[in-house]
Amino acid sequence: MTTFDLFLQQAINGLSLGAMYALLALGFTLVYGILELINFSHFNVFMVGSFIALWTLQQFGLFGQETILVGLPLAGVLLVTFTVTMLATGVIGVGIERFLLRPLRDVKGPAAMITTIGVSYILFNIILLTVGADSKNFPNPLPPLQIAIGGAVLRLREVLIWIIATLLMLALTFFVQRTKLGRAMRATAQDPEAARMMGVEVDRVIMTAFFLGSALAGASGLIFGLYYNFTSFLIGFNAGLRGFTAAVLGGIGNVPGAMLGGLIIGLVEAFGGQLIGSAWADVIIFAILVLVLVFRPAGLLGRLAPNRS
Amino acid sequence: MLTRRSAFTAAAGLATAFAAGPALGADKVVKVGVDMSFTGADSTDAIRMANGGILAFEEANAAHEVPGIIFQVEKYDDGSATAGQYDPAQAATNARKMVSDRAILAALGPQMSGAGKAMSPILSAGNLATITPASTNPDITDPKFAAQYRPAGKAIYFRTVATDAYQGPNMANYLAQPLKVRSVYVLDDSGAYGVGLADAFQKQAEKIGLRVLGRDRLDPKAADYAAVLTKIKSLGPEALYYGGVSQAGVKLAKQSYEIIPNVIKAGGDGMQSTDLLVGAGFPAVEGWYATISAPHVTDDPKLAAFIRRYNDRFSVQPDDFAVTCQVGARVIIEAVKELVADKREVTRAAVRDAIQAVQMQDSLLGPIAFDENGDLRNKIISVFQIRKDESKPLDSPEQYRYVGVAPSA
Repeated sequence: MTTFDLFLQQAINGLSLGAMYALLALGFTLVYGILELINFSHFNVFMVGSFIALWTLQQFGLFGQETILVGLPLAGVLLVTFTVTMLATGVIGVGIERFLLRPLRDVKGPAAMITTIGVSYILFNIILLTVGADSKNFPNPLPPLQIAIGGAVLRLREVLIWIIATLLMLALTFFVQRTKLGRAMRATAQDPEAARMMGVEVDRVIMTAFFLGSALAGASGLIFGLYYNFTSFLIGFNAGLRGFTAAVLGGIGNVPGAMLGGLIIGLVEAFGGQLIGSAWADVIIFAILVLVLVFRPAGLLGRLAPNRS
Repeated sequence: MLTRRSAFTAAAGLATAFAAGPALGADKVVKVGVDMSFTGADSTDAIRMANGGILAFEEANAAHEVPGIIFQVEKYDDGSATAGQYDPAQAATNARKMVSDRAILAALGPQMSGAGKAMSPILSAGNLATITPASTNPDITDPKFAAQYRPAGKAIYFRTVATDAYQGPNMANYLAQPLKVRSVYVLDDSGAYGVGLADAFQKQAEKIGLRVLGRDRLDPKAADYAAVLTKIKSLGPEALYYGGVSQAGVKLAKQSYEIIPNVIKAGGDGMQSTDLLVGAGFPAVEGWYATISAPHVTDDPKLAAFIRRYNDRFSVQPDDFAVTCQVGARVIIEAVKELVADKREVTRAAVRDAIQAVQMQDSLLGPIAFDENGDLRNKIISVFQIRKDESKPLDSPEQYRYVGVAPSA
């Protein structure tokens, strides 16, 4: 492998990681933008999403990596699995908001944030105690297609992940920018009081933010499984922490910022592993975060959060 | 329907019930603490292993092998949910609990060296001997570290396996000859066992002229090893050696199969695990080498009777660690038997001394005797390779084919 091949290969690795982190970062950012709440339950909604995807794929008779699908059956299975997983995690997100966080909305202090940490641990332990602690072999029906670019290898799996992540992010951008509910979300994010006075149903907007964020976490759980061919009850913390860091790096509350932050963290992880050593990946990632925040406290693209007067 | 198996289970259950009941109140109960990582990535192995010891105690009780003594197993779990595998803090807590329970006169375990390092100073202070059937980090029994791991002086950490001081180096020899590997990349999983094993391997590799192209550390909780594997691919070693257990091992097997499929891959007893077969599965695990620090005996016709009894009792196939654990339990039984025969009082100190002095000629592992540090006197490292056998269950330990003994360092 030449240095260029190596650069290319690590860029491919980094972009795939980045796509996953970006989808996770969006969930943090959507909720923070409206409620100024860091939703730690998001970590494990992602993890639960990967298990829902695992069970859905098993309903199609897919176990391990032995059954390969192509063409329409593959598209059909993926479409159904993405839909089921995203709906299910979306509903979990809405449930968390409606029953556990709404009663605390007007409580000052960290009660809501602590609740989200509690919910995170509850989800974590439910999965641990019901499915067990060992790593699960994640079904993967994708054909093992790949093309060589010099010495680097680009697999179908990576291309698919980039396409799906890009489509989901475009859809979200369209929703936030162009639809009525999206406009209501932006208005609430700017000034909830004024938005309410103008007739925006703030409760509905908040539920939408939780639904969308959690659905994206579900999608990213499924992508995680397809990418690594495994899942376990443990995956939430590491990926979630990086997703959260990506959101802060890009500017929390800022949707394009979350995407940018995700990509940067993914690339830093890949190139840091190459140049310095994988053991140092976390040190590098968080050192960059600290440095960026020292010079740009609002993150790269600026923080967007409600104006409280 | 009363099958032979259910009849056996019923009989064993009855025997235990009677034994534990007040009807035989004259018998002295000797409690044995069994500490393994029952929660987390190594749980399947933990259960399989512990059952070897449990079976030995059940059979000794059923046969009234030691007159006036009933053995009672008390399980301790050093795995924790937050660690996802063994947790040294939990292991230390378990050691304290065992020491404070006066009825516990000996212990079996732990499974993991990281747990062993946390437990041994506490067990030493309580003068409670333990026999580990699996933990292989050499520091714990090394006299150089006696002040740290056995502050009270006497050896309390006995093993029915050899240590990584042999496991890593002997595997380096095996890679060089017969596998004729000339260059290698070394990884570990940041744990006490993994780092020690990889260090010992690397030292011997350098000594015998195997070129070590690099060394890196995996975070067992991270999901993505593509960056480090891509780096390894660019360096082009002929072999990869991994010191670590299955939590990182599962992901390493999966991702290395995709990124560096043609590199020879080897690990220690941490990769001798059905958790690996289940979590990573074929084809990713095909071709991996793994070692154990004990002679390979489950294919030995001498063991057929034990394997059948184990299978009848637990409905799974035992592996070599079920045997090392059975032998550990037998050592405790022999030690107590010796004390009773000599009409000496069965105390912790006496049991420790009796374990130290045990000379078994015909254990399932062959002759067993300990040196003054608690290590086995005869040390054998067996090498296995995973080769898919469609006729057996794909998650059975039988997928590991015995390929020989690794040359001594």
